[in-house]
Amino acid sequence: MAILPHIPWLTLLICLPLTGAMLCMLADERERTSHWLALATTAIIFVITIGLFISYGAGGAGWLLHEDAIWIDRYGIRYSLGMDGISLLLVLLTAFLHLIAVLASWPIERHAPRFLGLLLLLETGLMGIFLAIDLVLFYVFWEVMLIPMFLMIGIWGGEQRRQAALKFFLYALAGSLAMLVALIALYLLHGEQTGSYTFALAELMKTRLTLPQEILLFSGFMLAFAIKTPLVPFHTWLPDAHAESPASGAVDLTGLLLKTGVFGMIRIAFPLFPAATRFALPLLGILALTGLFHAAWGAYRQNDIKRLFAYSSISHVGLILLGLAAWQITAWEGSILLMLTNAIATGALFVLIAMIRQRTGTCQIDELSGLWGQAPNLSALFLLFALASLGLPGLANFAGEILVLIGTFQTHPVWASLAVVAVVFAAAYILRLVQGVIWGPISGTRITYDLTPREWLILVPMAILVIWLGLYPAPFLTPLHEPVQLLLGGSP
Amino acid sequence: MNGLELIALTPVLILVLGGTALLMAGAWYRQPDPLLAGGISVALAAGLSALLLTPPVQEIAGLFSSTPYARFFTLFWSLSAALMLVISVRYVKERSLPAGEYVSLVLFATAGMALLSSATSLIGIFLGLEAFTLAFYILIACNRHCDLSAEAGLKYLVMGAVATGFMAFGIALIYACSGSFHLPEALQGLAAAGALRPWGLLGWGMLLVAIGFKISLVPFHLWTPDVYQGAPTPVVSLLATGSKGAVAAALIGLFASGPSGWTDMTSLLWLLSALTMLVGALCALPQTNIKRLLAYSSVVHMGTLLIGLLCQTSDGLAASVFYVTVYCIASLGSFAIITSMADGTSEPTDLEQWRGLGYRHPVRCGVLTVLLLSLAGMPPTAGFMAKFAIFHASIQADFIGLALVGILASLISFAFYLKVIMVMFMTDETAPACHPGTTLEHSVLAICTGAVLLFGLFPGLLFDLIGSILP
Repeated sequence: MAILPHIPWLTLLICLPLTGAMLCMLADERERTSHWLALATTAIIFVITIGLFISYGAGGAGWLLHEDAIWIDRYGIRYSLGMDGISLLLVLLTAFLHLIAVLASWPIERHAPRFLGLLLLLETGLMGIFLAIDLVLFYVFWEVMLIPMFLMIGIWGGEQRRQAALKFFLYALAGSLAMLVALIALYLLHGEQTGSYTFALAELMKTRLTLPQEILLFSGFMLAFAIKTPLVPFHTWLPDAHAESPASGAVDLTGLLLKTGVFGMIRIAFPLFPAATRFALPLLGILALTGLFHAAWGAYRQNDIKRLFAYSSISHVGLILLGLAAWQITAWEGSILLMLTNAIATGALFVLIAMIRQRTGTCQIDELSGLWGQAPNLSALFLLFALASLGLPGLANFAGEILVLIGTFQTHPVWASLAVVAVVFAAAYILRLVQGVIWGPISGTRITYDLTPREWLILVPMAILVIWLGLYPAPFLTPLHEPVQLLLGGSP
Repeated sequence: MNGLELIALTPVLILVLGGTALLMAGAWYRQPDPLLAGGISVALAAGLSALLLTPPVQEIAGLFSSTPYARFFTLFWSLSAALMLVISVRYVKERSLPAGEYVSLVLFATAGMALLSSATSLIGIFLGLEAFTLAFYILIACNRHCDLSAEAGLKYLVMGAVATGFMAFGIALIYACSGSFHLPEALQGLAAAGALRPWGLLGWGMLLVAIGFKISLVPFHLWTPDVYQGAPTPVVSLLATGSKGAVAAALIGLFASGPSGWTDMTSLLWLLSALTMLVGALCALPQTNIKRLLAYSSVVHMGTLLIGLLCQTSDGLAASVFYVTVYCIASLGSFAIITSMADGTSEPTDLEQWRGLGYRHPVRCGVLTVLLLSLAGMPPTAGFMAKFAIFHASIQADFIGLALVGILASLISFAFYLKVIMVMFMTDETAPACHPGTTLEHSVLAICTGAVLLFGLFPGLLFDLIGSILP
């Protein structure tokens, strides 16, 4: 276990990207410097997270790492960070995807230092969300994350970028503010009961609440998480935000931002309000199923590849939430695994879409055709990730999906059977896409070059991971075991 | 008034005497630089004396207090005035405004604000309020080459006169009801008054109307956007911060001195606060002039501040003081940026003139983004902690409905603050470059931004201070 020396690793994970972001912004005129700076920062962070994974990958009960200090004494707000098996995996994912995102944003020429600065700022916010165990600290990071994403969509996005950015921000903010009220109310109720006013998650879990109180506060938190996840019917912001955001922004958006909502439910909403959760699980399950079908159908109708995968993400999130709603250990492990694999597979697809767009100037399905004939390597990788996203056995998403389905079947056979049908839907829209874009006659837009070395560097690690996660996901399931058991412990 | 009381009054005396001396000097000597430098040093000296001098008595002539609370605000307004004069240096020179009068009026206004924040008597409130209002009548209209400025001055004068009328009549009624001008007695008298109680309540209501005009609560806010738009920008920076803040500080003092008499007004204040937040936020949405937009933003802020006052708890009052302080810093900084971009003839006020300015002036637009986010209440800026403290106090005091209205208003507010950020960074660079700004102006911006971030990351610093000064 104790391979690593005792330094505040968690604080380092938050401070390093912040420092990198500031340095990038300062290097405003020197684009190359800022690129290397960002790359070095994300690489160091990735190495640290790998070190953490090797040291603590065996899992264990309670916090694997924990840091705590007083922040705002007046309100009993603390700077406390904690890492368990779930956050370990998500931190690893954040570090990996940001490294990829920095590499993928190499072609961005307009104001590159600022873009990279914002990307690193986003990493700070995400690390904070996955690690914070004081609710105000969590809220601060939750909000901090909005600004860089807003600017990234709004400055570097497509034609409708301003509307998309504003829509994203206001949707997310509406949820956050509801959460703010709920968390202050919970804090006051807890303080009145025990006399100790604190925002510490572990303490607040002991608050005794009546069922109506629980449901009210639970809805406040869930609104924030459901919008970010996004759970149908709160999903309408996502396709716009996706379609308009630049490639590395989109990687962040699907890969990580959407996962913060699910993580918030797992870490905060469910443990804080067990009675309300038991009450709401059937509703969550039904909404998740609705989302699964609605988004799959939405994906089938899209002509824009980015929008198609935006809907496909919503559909996957539906499956993840279904696993959570099943309230069963296998299903939960599957859901969390699916969070990782979906992030990697969809992330890779967004990078590939950006490459296709760079070469052909379009990402409309009807304008693209016969890519295989012109860029076989690119097409092969596109096919690989598309099939992974579809859930082909042996590739990433399959392991997660099958665990979710098995787990769900044990508690809710009807849900599981319906979900299987939706997985077939996924096959339909993915195959339609692949058929239209990769095969068929070579279209008017000529591609003059295949993958460049930089692009190989981005895609090969992702491909390896996708295959590894599909064939042998065990190392990533081990750290989940104990925290998931702990979370499922008391309730239904 | 004896010698000890005069010593306690030193900061205000420095402001008034310094202002008079500069007015005299300005009549003979027309160079703006030394006059402005003199004004800045007088303001700083007043602030320093408020900080260092421990007053020998707690109350001055039964009108003003010299408690730590009063000294805190005296220091704060003196510093604001100093910063405001710093950003005025180039503005006054380039527009050839009369420097002597300008500086002395600013100092007189500051003295008025300091007095108002420390008033313990209705007469003290009246004197302080009139002192700075009179100075502002002239300051707002001091640019004689600008029609909008004259219009703004006239509007402020008419509204101000109406407010003064309300206030004087209200004070008379309160006196008739309670038999005292001194605030604690006047409030207790209200609770104890028998048949005269309705008249006393009417008096407090009229006082509230007058205050509503000054801090622009809806429906008394209509002058605000026009005056902000027309007045010289540095003057607006003080009008938006000091004049509103001082009235707010007096209100906080009033609420702190005796809650008993106010319970009848609670529902009225509730309504005022809710209306102010919602109407202010909705009116700000369609604005295309940044000064008007900030005017409505100040309306929303005053409504939010009222929530903290309504709670009538120590947490609520502390939250209000925190809120006022942070609002003033961010607001002063925002107007300082507009001033620093102004040249001799024009300044970018229309949002069209801000298109893509984020690429021409990245640092100042970045700073404005931080300040606007603080006004909007986004972590990790101080604005978030201010909003957090206010909502915390309101939920604690069972004003959950009002907290929800506040949340709604702050959601709407985000839309218009983001509009400015979007215009700066998400459009093509069609607007011409503005004045690069001087080092002095940049240092004011650095101070404001530094304070906003410092109090956002370490709000404990300011909360501890407030905890120790609140009566």
